[in-house]
Amino acid sequence: MKTLATRKARLKFTVRRFKNVMTQISKSKRGTLGVGVIVFFVILAILAPVIAPYDPIRPRRDPEQYPAFSGQTILKIADKLCYPVWYKYLPWITRGPSERIDQFVNTLILSDGELYPKTTSFQLRDRVAEPLTVTAELPNGTVIELVQNKEWTWDIEKIRQVNIDPTLATNLPNGTVISVKYLTGFEITENIDILSDPGITSSETLNKINFLTNYSDSFNIEFNNEKGFKNDGCIAIEYSKTSSEDEEITLEIPFEYPHWSPPKSFVTHFSARLEADTSNARVIATVYIENKNTNKTYLISSIADNPIKPSPQFLHYSEVSTSNETTTNVGSLYPEQVIFPLPSNVSFIVKLKFQNVNQSATLYLDNLQCLLYGNSFGLLGTDNGSPYPPRDIFSTLVHGTRVSLIVGVLSALFSTIIGLFLGLISGYMGGFVDEIIMRFADLLLVLPTLPLFIVLIAVMKSTYGLVNIWNIIILITFFGWMSFSRSVRSMVLSIRERPFIEAAKAAGGGKFYIITRHIIPNVFPLVYVTLATSVPGAIITEASLSWLGLGDPSVPSWGKILYDFNVSGIAVTKGLTEYWFWIFPPCVAIALLATAFILLGFALDEILNPKLRERR
Amino acid sequence: MGLRAYVARRIVYSIILIWAVITINFLIFSMLPGDPIAQYVASLKGRIDKERYEQLRHDFGLDQPLHVRYLHSLISLLTFNFGREAGSGEPVLNVMREPMLNTIILMGTAEVLSIIVGILLGVIAAYKRDGIIDTVLTTGSLVTYSVPIFFVGWIVILIFAIQLHWFPAGGWIPDWPRGYVPTSFEYVLARLRYIVLPTFTLFLFTVGGWILLTRACVLETINEDYVVTARAKGLKERTVLYKHVLKNASLPLITSVALAFASLVGGAIITETLFSYNGMGLLTWHAIYPVPNLPLLQAIFYISALLVIIANFIADLLYGIIDPRIRYG
Repeated sequence: MKTLATRKARLKFTVRRFKNVMTQISKSKRGTLGVGVIVFFVILAILAPVIAPYDPIRPRRDPEQYPAFSGQTILKIADKLCYPVWYKYLPWITRGPSERIDQFVNTLILSDGELYPKTTSFQLRDRVAEPLTVTAELPNGTVIELVQNKEWTWDIEKIRQVNIDPTLATNLPNGTVISVKYLTGFEITENIDILSDPGITSSETLNKINFLTNYSDSFNIEFNNEKGFKNDGCIAIEYSKTSSEDEEITLEIPFEYPHWSPPKSFVTHFSARLEADTSNARVIATVYIENKNTNKTYLISSIADNPIKPSPQFLHYSEVSTSNETTTNVGSLYPEQVIFPLPSNVSFIVKLKFQNVNQSATLYLDNLQCLLYGNSFGLLGTDNGSPYPPRDIFSTLVHGTRVSLIVGVLSALFSTIIGLFLGLISGYMGGFVDEIIMRFADLLLVLPTLPLFIVLIAVMKSTYGLVNIWNIIILITFFGWMSFSRSVRSMVLSIRERPFIEAAKAAGGGKFYIITRHIIPNVFPLVYVTLATSVPGAIITEASLSWLGLGDPSVPSWGKILYDFNVSGIAVTKGLTEYWFWIFPPCVAIALLATAFILLGFALDEILNPKLRERR
Repeated sequence: MGLRAYVARRIVYSIILIWAVITINFLIFSMLPGDPIAQYVASLKGRIDKERYEQLRHDFGLDQPLHVRYLHSLISLLTFNFGREAGSGEPVLNVMREPMLNTIILMGTAEVLSIIVGILLGVIAAYKRDGIIDTVLTTGSLVTYSVPIFFVGWIVILIFAIQLHWFPAGGWIPDWPRGYVPTSFEYVLARLRYIVLPTFTLFLFTVGGWILLTRACVLETINEDYVVTARAKGLKERTVLYKHVLKNASLPLITSVALAFASLVGGAIITETLFSYNGMGLLTWHAIYPVPNLPLLQAIFYISALLVIIANFIADLLYGIIDPRIRYG
């Protein structure tokens, strides 16, 4: 009973002391600020999976909804190098159509006594949203309008090029300015999922789809709520043969493309399963996108050589806009620019042709989707997606909080413990032990740590192939205890000579007893202060190492975001002015967290070492 | 103990440090499993026979016992014999010579500037303690102290290179037209234009620490009796501050100069990489990315450790000259 009471009393005392320190911190402005910021980041770290919706290393669209992209193939969440979604609200970001005039000077060169135009084809700088007019201004001031197809032709879809008739160019005097006027557009675009419910989980989704067929007697379309992929509902197309031809049904999903810029890329996806009365039955699916404003239909993919056969499982079909098939079908390396030149009404079309069916068949369609990737995503955009698909920078930032906090706090904790231990030993024992420890500390203090870390981590990398976060914590700990153990030693040296230690010794206290009961309590205020003030160094060291690409590549740390920026080459090509949102948030986060710990340390210093307060 | 004995002691101490650095270098290298020849042979995938392998090991002295190899590495590091670059075959020392000089210029300028400015501002902050200037200076120092250097660098680039176009954002020497030989004045001027921003970045990175340290040291001495005496004598406030307070407060500052050098080397690595400034830092980056070049990294570490030890030694000497107590204590 007695020990319990003292323990309780001691606990009470500790709690009271803690409360006391907390009230004093809350009185100091710096301390409150520091604690506030730290608490904010701790909450962020704990709630990271809730706040950050995407995987910070290998983000992907749900493979259950897009089963063609399961396993190693990943359906990206957004295109690379997206702007943040709020970017479009910035006043200097333009939106809408804009007229462009590209000018070229006709230069004639003399060769073998004849004049030749130096060049007759001109590359346009921008995407062409609407066809163009070409005018030629002669050096004497007269302006001629050139006639399309007679004097010039274009290839805007494939290579964005205007070709001038060579004989005409030879006739135009040297120095003629040829102006090409065309319409282009710019806007921050967003990801568009044309079906909000690609898994077809409710019958209402069917209302968004138009079913068109010339053989309306043969087809019966209904919602089936159990046969879908993952048994979550699908479209069931019941077919019973009424004519001798191959009968066809068309699914059309109309939508509006609202942007003045084309999407950056697009993906089409569907899953299908055929049940038929004969194993020879085939369904050939072809996917089109139709632009109703230009009245053009573009073949995206046809699976004639890989038709849907009767099978017990769903088969998954997908096509990305960068694939060979789509680019050759559309006839441009940038099919999205050809299909979506302007805001327009568009239809996503899937044509299903039933072949070799005896009497009846049922086709189940699920996971139907056409995804248009825009150039904005998330709160902070996306990175350049190397080596994995593009990451949501905001998610990586939030998850990075954990890494920074863990590395910072653990390194500080371990190095403070080591520093305390060695400082106590060295100060209390003195003599040979003291000399050895202090000389060793001097040596470590003199070594330039960052170059040494770089060498050590590079060696580890080439030896074991990887570095993990614990290696970095151990390194920072090993090179972080020296200055603290020095100050502990000097404190111990002065405490050792005080009368109460002598009294304890006279009373028969052993070394261990005196160190733990009399010296440590006197050194402890310093421990708290050092704990707080050595966190920033550890955080910044970890960030610097990751910045140099020497961090753990499988851990989403703040420094790694910056490393990705460094090696992406964006700093050279587009510059900091355009992609500042990529690097400044992690930098600010590092700075804020580091400053917060320093402020806390200073506040603790003032509270726990009252001597300082009197002096100031 | 006279000055001579003191200097002798410091020399011995520095030599011990150099020995320790060389030993650490050797230990790191022998930590690698297998030897470099074995790795080379593995990369050839069996296109080399056992005899040739043994011959190679013998040629590179890898078949000798550990202590002989240690002695070899001791001698070659002491004579700056780092071997040849794997790619170009040029001696590593030649590869490092120019970057080393550039780094010393950059770090020296930044360090001197930040010490002078930091001490001046620190004295002002201490003298006007708890005033507005003090609050601004200490808060500012705390912030620059905890802001990572690449952030400082990016902001400096954004403001002074991209927005204002005052200085180039990166590089270390302009692209002179081919065949153009600049006059030495032009050369120096061009070099200066490229060195301004990295120096400024390093300066911002370090000056906060100096302000805080000076302020603390000055506050420590400002209430001493001899300062009161000096004031009572009727000395001018400025004389009291700079002759009596600062001179005594500067002793811990000098020891910090040496230690600051160690952290400055790290800051310089990142700054030079950021500004593509052709120094040891950029060399380090090229030795890390994309494939680590270990021998070059080790040479870089050895040289930077040596620089720090030399800086330490000089600081110790200064300390001994300024503070007579050290010599006779």
